Amino acid sequence: MPSTQMTAEPLLSLRDLTVRFRLPDREVVAVDRVSLDLAPGEVLGIVGESGSGKSQILFALMGLLASNGKAGGQALFRGQDLLAMKPAELDRVRGVQMSMIFQDPMTSLNPYQRVGDQLAEGLRVHRGLGRSEARQAAVAMLERVRIPDAAARAMRYPHEFSGGMRQRVMIAMALLMKPAILLADEPTTALDVTIQAQVLDLMAELARENGTAVVLVTHDLGVVARLCDRVAVLYGGRLMEESPAEALFDAPKHPYSAGLLRATPRLDDAMTARLGTIPGQPRAGGMSPGCPFAPRCEVKLPLCDTTQPPLREVGPARRAACHLLEQPA
Amino acid sequence: MADKHLSTTQLQFRRFAKNRLAMASVFVLLAIVLICFLGPYAFPFTGEDADFDHISAPAEFIWPHLFGTDDYGRDLLVRVLEGGQVSLAIGFLGALSAGVIGVLYGAIAGYAGGRTDGLMMRTVEILYGFPYVILVILLSLLFGGGTLALFAAIVFTLWLTPAVIVRAQAQSLARREFVEAARAGGMTPARIVVGHIVPNCVSVVIVYGSLLVPEVILSESFLSFLGIGIKEPQASWGNLIQAGTAAMDTDLRLLLLPGGFLVAVLLSLNFIADGLRDAFDPNDR
Amino acid sequence: MGRFLARRLWEGGLTLAALVTLTFFVMRLAPGGPFSKNRKISPEVLANIQERFHLDEPVWQQFARYVWGLMHLDFGPSTRFRDYSVGDIIASGLPWSLTIGFWAILIAALVGVGLGMAGAMRRNGATDLVAGLVGVIGIAVPIFVIGPLFQVIFALRLNWLPVGGTDAGWRALILPVIVLALPNIAYISRLTRTSMIETLRENHVRTARAKGIGARRVLTGHVLTGALLPVIAYLGPATAAIITGSILIETVFALPGIGRHFVDAALNRDYPLVMGITLLYGALVILFNILTDLVRGWLDPRVRNG
Repeated sequence: MPSTQMTAEPLLSLRDLTVRFRLPDREVVAVDRVSLDLAPGEVLGIVGESGSGKSQILFALMGLLASNGKAGGQALFRGQDLLAMKPAELDRVRGVQMSMIFQDPMTSLNPYQRVGDQLAEGLRVHRGLGRSEARQAAVAMLERVRIPDAAARAMRYPHEFSGGMRQRVMIAMALLMKPAILLADEPTTALDVTIQAQVLDLMAELARENGTAVVLVTHDLGVVARLCDRVAVLYGGRLMEESPAEALFDAPKHPYSAGLLRATPRLDDAMTARLGTIPGQPRAGGMSPGCPFAPRCEVKLPLCDTTQPPLREVGPARRAACHLLEQPA
Repeated sequence: MADKHLSTTQLQFRRFAKNRLAMASVFVLLAIVLICFLGPYAFPFTGEDADFDHISAPAEFIWPHLFGTDDYGRDLLVRVLEGGQVSLAIGFLGALSAGVIGVLYGAIAGYAGGRTDGLMMRTVEILYGFPYVILVILLSLLFGGGTLALFAAIVFTLWLTPAVIVRAQAQSLARREFVEAARAGGMTPARIVVGHIVPNCVSVVIVYGSLLVPEVILSESFLSFLGIGIKEPQASWGNLIQAGTAAMDTDLRLLLLPGGFLVAVLLSLNFIADGLRDAFDPNDR
Repeated sequence: MGRFLARRLWEGGLTLAALVTLTFFVMRLAPGGPFSKNRKISPEVLANIQERFHLDEPVWQQFARYVWGLMHLDFGPSTRFRDYSVGDIIASGLPWSLTIGFWAILIAALVGVGLGMAGAMRRNGATDLVAGLVGVIGIAVPIFVIGPLFQVIFALRLNWLPVGGTDAGWRALILPVIVLALPNIAYISRLTRTSMIETLRENHVRTARAKGIGARRVLTGHVLTGALLPVIAYLGPATAAIITGSILIETVFALPGIGRHFVDAALNRDYPLVMGITLLYGALVILFNILTDLVRGWLDPRVRNG
């Protein structure tokens, strides 16, 4: 069921996107029939715990799944299904129409190449720019992401940059080609808390400038609150709730979303207030016939263990999958 | 499948047992060891007895000279088996000695850290870079030649690898809390090294040390092959192979029998070492 | 980069100096050597040694003479070959050993890397099997068994190549080079394969793919350098391995290289020759280690500062 919000044509449309991994003794479903739409220029947050499959959605879109992974369903972008494209065809999309930044800036840059050259590479391959032209554009972009002394720094190697600076380089690299979509996989998780906000704001600012839509995967609700227009909550590979950000924070509909919010410390909490916790541990999806959250849900019904709740509209531009929310017939 | 609660070591040995190639190699190796040490008793002569009635007899598989004799009339099979005793004994004893020395050296260097470590490892680095044969030959000359010198020379060159490995392990262990606790509790460094560091290096030593045995056997063999190691009339696979090459245009069995045994032992040991590595350190693949 | 080179040269120099000192004292102390009292040598040779080595002078002076001689590439006289100096003997054998060594390393590197890369990209195919087989043979079967076997097969039975010796010119080198290269092919291919697989998994390769620059460019621009670094690092120790192997090869194939001379000298207690060759090998190993370090420093900027 497509998202309810669209008035215009969505930029990216995920239809029953599924990601499976083949392990030696069994198959794991990391993403279970997720359907989402992305509007041009909007910032969509995908939230969930580790292991909820959220990063795999991004990898599937970019054709970066591990060799034992397989994607099913459709990912429609500008009239084409990304999941059906061969790597050579995908190369015309990734890096130029759709870019990605990754979680660990310390290992995501090529240690053997100068930073300027890495930035320039995309321009040279996709736009056919010459060396000096590309280098100039790279330096300009480094300045744009506020790397001090950009021209000199472009001649340096990644190990001479701090983590925060490396992530800014990655942002520069991703947005240099002015893509329509930016996929961000927990871009600030590995960074110092003090610079997380800076990097996020920079990313959002640049995206806004170019009209780039952003899909931001994170487990940090603070990040979501700061940047996102809409939020999709994932658990066990399934979409549990999808909602405009403010509405979610005001009144979460799904028990899991509510649990997540309770577990997030807030500045206006009393000092002695206890953080809510969600009991139990997450397990890989696709195993049980019922709702994946049922084992840990405090308000579950017997129905929850046997039948997966379907996604239903639960408010203006909001969907959630929970038996408790179903209106009595 | 029920999840029994097994200790890490037990799990690791289980994983090893599942490796068919490694287990087969264990059996082959055991078989060879048994044959070499017990086999000669089945025959009415030793490898040094010359049977003047059967000089240079070919391999016809008739009792008692199953594989024939050499040109001194000595039975080939028994000589190969006796050579095996020497090679295998030196192999395991040498590996054990090199291992013990290496482990202690590495544990001390890794635990001590600082300049002691720096000095100790500098020495190792220098020795390590050296062409192995040169070092062994030099050492055996220095120790006066002969079997004991050979043994000492091999051990003194092979302890380097376990030392390097154990030192790396010891370094990371030395920073762990339980060592701090021991130190705070007043344990002397010697006791800490022997009581805490060394036992925790065991799995690393098993994995990488298991390659020591074929290395020692190989060293002894090629030294004997060159004429610097075990000398006639005492048999060793090395010098038997050398004698075999002298006759190889007419009589291949003198080369193939000792060569075959040597290759079988080295292959088995290598597969076992691989199996141990897979079982104890699965990240390696 | 210059500082890096300077530091390596300095360390190499120290090692060499240590080696020279060691050589000098080993010669004097080793039992059965020309300097030991209980050696049964003819009076002429004894007088010759006394004179040549200035044994009446204090030790430090002898040492100084020795070092001085070395700087002029004078390793002293051979105690076995009365008319030749160690330098002469080394000069006669060096070309053979260097030629064989050079070709063996070249072939080992090319074939090894090729097999390793093929094995990494096509996991569990026929190439993996071949590579695995070569690997096992190269590592487990000793050179002095393969050598004679190849001699039997290719020379004696098939008559394609000469058994050994130097009469057949460059053809005589084919078999020795191949046999010498074999264990290194095995090791290098294994090393390359592992390194390649690991590099392919690294995050920066994923980033490169995400840039949509094409599979070939990802390989040449982002994978190759990282994957080949361990192989390049191995080339230093590979020299030592080749030297080790060449000693055996020269014996098996009856080639008059310095390896063979080394063994003969060791068997005959010709210490000046033994130590001279030892020094030569030591210098070669140090030299190659410095070279490989330089190449690594050039390729991997992180090495330069560490």
